[in-house]
Amino acid sequence: MVVRDYNDELKYLERIDANSWRIKKGFQPNMNVEGVFYVNSALEKLMFDELRNACRPGMVGGFLPGMKQIANVAALPGIVHRSIGLPDVHSGYGFAIGNMAAFDMSDPNSIVSPGGVGFDINCGVRLLRTNLFEKDVQPVKEQLAQSMFDHIPVGVGSKGIIPMTAHNLEEALEMGMDWSLREGYIWAEDKEHCEEYGRMLNADPSKVSLRAKKRGLPQLGTLGAGNHYAEIQVVDEIYDKWAASKMGIEEKGQVCVMIHSGSRGFGHQVATDALVQMEKAMKRDKIETNDRQLACARINSQEGQDYLKAMAAAANFAWVNRSSMTFLSRQAFAKQFHMTPDDLDMHVIYDVSHNIAKIEEHVVDGKQKTLLVHRKGSTRAFPPHHPLIPVDYQLTGQPVLIGGTMGTCSYVLTGTEQGMQETFGSTCHGAGRALSRAKSRRNLEYTDVLKKLEQQGISIRVASLKLVMEEAPESYKNVTDVVDTCHAAGISKKCIKLRPIAVIKG
Amino acid sequence: MFKRKLAALDHHAPDSFNINDEREIRNLVLWLENQKIRRYKIEDRAPLQATGPEWNANFEKYCKDLASPIADGSMAEKLEWLIGYAVSLEYSDDADKYKGQTAENVSKIVVNVPKVESSNPLDNMDFESPDFKKGILALAQILDVTPHPDHLVTLKAVSKVVRERLSQEALDKPNNIIVKGKPFPFQEADLGFDMGDYVLNQAAKILRLLYIHDLRDLQTGINETIVAVQSITADPKTDTKLGQVGR
Repeated sequence: MVVRDYNDELKYLERIDANSWRIKKGFQPNMNVEGVFYVNSALEKLMFDELRNACRPGMVGGFLPGMKQIANVAALPGIVHRSIGLPDVHSGYGFAIGNMAAFDMSDPNSIVSPGGVGFDINCGVRLLRTNLFEKDVQPVKEQLAQSMFDHIPVGVGSKGIIPMTAHNLEEALEMGMDWSLREGYIWAEDKEHCEEYGRMLNADPSKVSLRAKKRGLPQLGTLGAGNHYAEIQVVDEIYDKWAASKMGIEEKGQVCVMIHSGSRGFGHQVATDALVQMEKAMKRDKIETNDRQLACARINSQEGQDYLKAMAAAANFAWVNRSSMTFLSRQAFAKQFHMTPDDLDMHVIYDVSHNIAKIEEHVVDGKQKTLLVHRKGSTRAFPPHHPLIPVDYQLTGQPVLIGGTMGTCSYVLTGTEQGMQETFGSTCHGAGRALSRAKSRRNLEYTDVLKKLEQQGISIRVASLKLVMEEAPESYKNVTDVVDTCHAAGISKKCIKLRPIAVIKG
Repeated sequence: MFKRKLAALDHHAPDSFNINDEREIRNLVLWLENQKIRRYKIEDRAPLQATGPEWNANFEKYCKDLASPIADGSMAEKLEWLIGYAVSLEYSDDADKYKGQTAENVSKIVVNVPKVESSNPLDNMDFESPDFKKGILALAQILDVTPHPDHLVTLKAVSKVVRERLSQEALDKPNNIIVKGKPFPFQEADLGFDMGDYVLNQAAKILRLLYIHDLRDLQTGINETIVAVQSITADPKTDTKLGQVGR
């Protein structure tokens, strides 16, 4: 890493407009393209403070600051357009979380990197609507939260209540949501309203280690820990009434269920296995990167292809997982209200994935190209009329689900044409951490966090009270700042704001 | 033998006439005289009705009376002429009707009229008549269909409305069949491209809508198929004993 003082670093940064900054070549060595990041004034301060801290003498260890990570990604072979930091960007393993980068498939040197997808492969958000209103749910909020908690096991090491055999798992890995459909856990319309229709076709379970399968088998239908949650939310604000109406959201106060979860230990193991393989491939193919954590392999190499197939299997695992929790949430609601999920109109509005790499067609410098798009902590946000979004959203653009932090609000955005051009149809994914987990544990008391939630009238069920402070809103960037920046920059458009009334967490 | 000529004469069995059967020959000659040629008065036709060997002599005389040029030919040749004579008489009876049947006109008829005689009265309608056009316009007004300059396009639209909205099923359960759309300001919606011309952009927007409509039908069909298969395969299970809350 180049050692410069803070003021020298600033020479490589240039404001493009009110909501974006350019990272010029030379900020890190060997940059093939420029970097860019989207911020508003509040988020901008966080980014620059992080860089300044990293420039202080004696700062070693830990992750590199987000801006440096964005620049290191810009130095990877085969990258096109720009290395893009979304407003919620923060340091992660190799790639920053909230970093989007696309690689040209026709360039034999282009790479795929597990660090660009993240350990929780196909972590994502699913939103269900209901025809209930806040007044229907408030009186039974506690019972409903308990019922959800009883149906959906949470926490580290939790096990699901849907019986699975090893054979079932193999099929689920290959079929994704088609498996859930075949077994009758979900509705045909759920598949229609899911990114990739809930199934990556290139998934190959034979490329997944036995260890990953063993970890994954008991975990299907569980929420997990960390920032994952299931929330009962109510519509707090509608910004775009036509788009909201297309999603079946007509009025403020309407009740929704948001599920934020991923591929659990299965995806983590797939990523870990791949990193080992990639280190070998890097040596063999003499691939140089600025950061050891950016382990990668050529897309067309054996290791690259194996990873993409295993990653697709992990993505399918995550969709089956969210589908199982959809089934369980519907059951919990049906029992509480003595109505069928059908009568409660519990349809999936959409399901997005914010940790994934996908092959997509985009226009680069006026030419159509096939790219491998890495989105890590970044959500696909395709514009109206894009062929890969469901027919119901052809006029509005793809719904983008932004999960807030525990006790804050969440948003639904829609994709825009401008986003398609600037960020290859990508936008933010959530709040993004501001404090590290360790720092949160040091600075906050869990009793204070719980008291604050209670004051806000939010019911909470958690597996581990000790982990609550890691996920406290104070540990995160303000999700409203993040979403407003995306809206102002035009890379996606605000549609609905939701606020939680009950939270189930690991 | 003689199939075409006999058919032209409206003979009752032009396909099955057998020249080797004497009885059939006699019947044919008698039929030709009775129905078509009428050389003799009815009461003088008895010799042709003879059943014995005298018939041959009577037939020779009949041919002579008709001034047949075939004196020594075979029976087939004699019959050939006789039938041809009957056809010529038939033609001269109504020459005006037949003289228009030139090759040119015949080929035209073949194109315009389907060979198979249709029992569908609609096939015989004149789709271009002013009456027909007026009818469609009236129908369109009743059904609230915007008329198209080409009345056949209007008819197509009318037929679509009738099929989809006025079927027995739609009338019995209108809520199941008739889609209750929600309004959407598609005029303000992003088209995704600009052709630099207001009218063209409007047209493109309408094409987009039609495409989305088709796509919706396709997706609905897919969903229905999935649901049909689910009714065979689905068997969701849960077992709360397996559940375990983590740390």
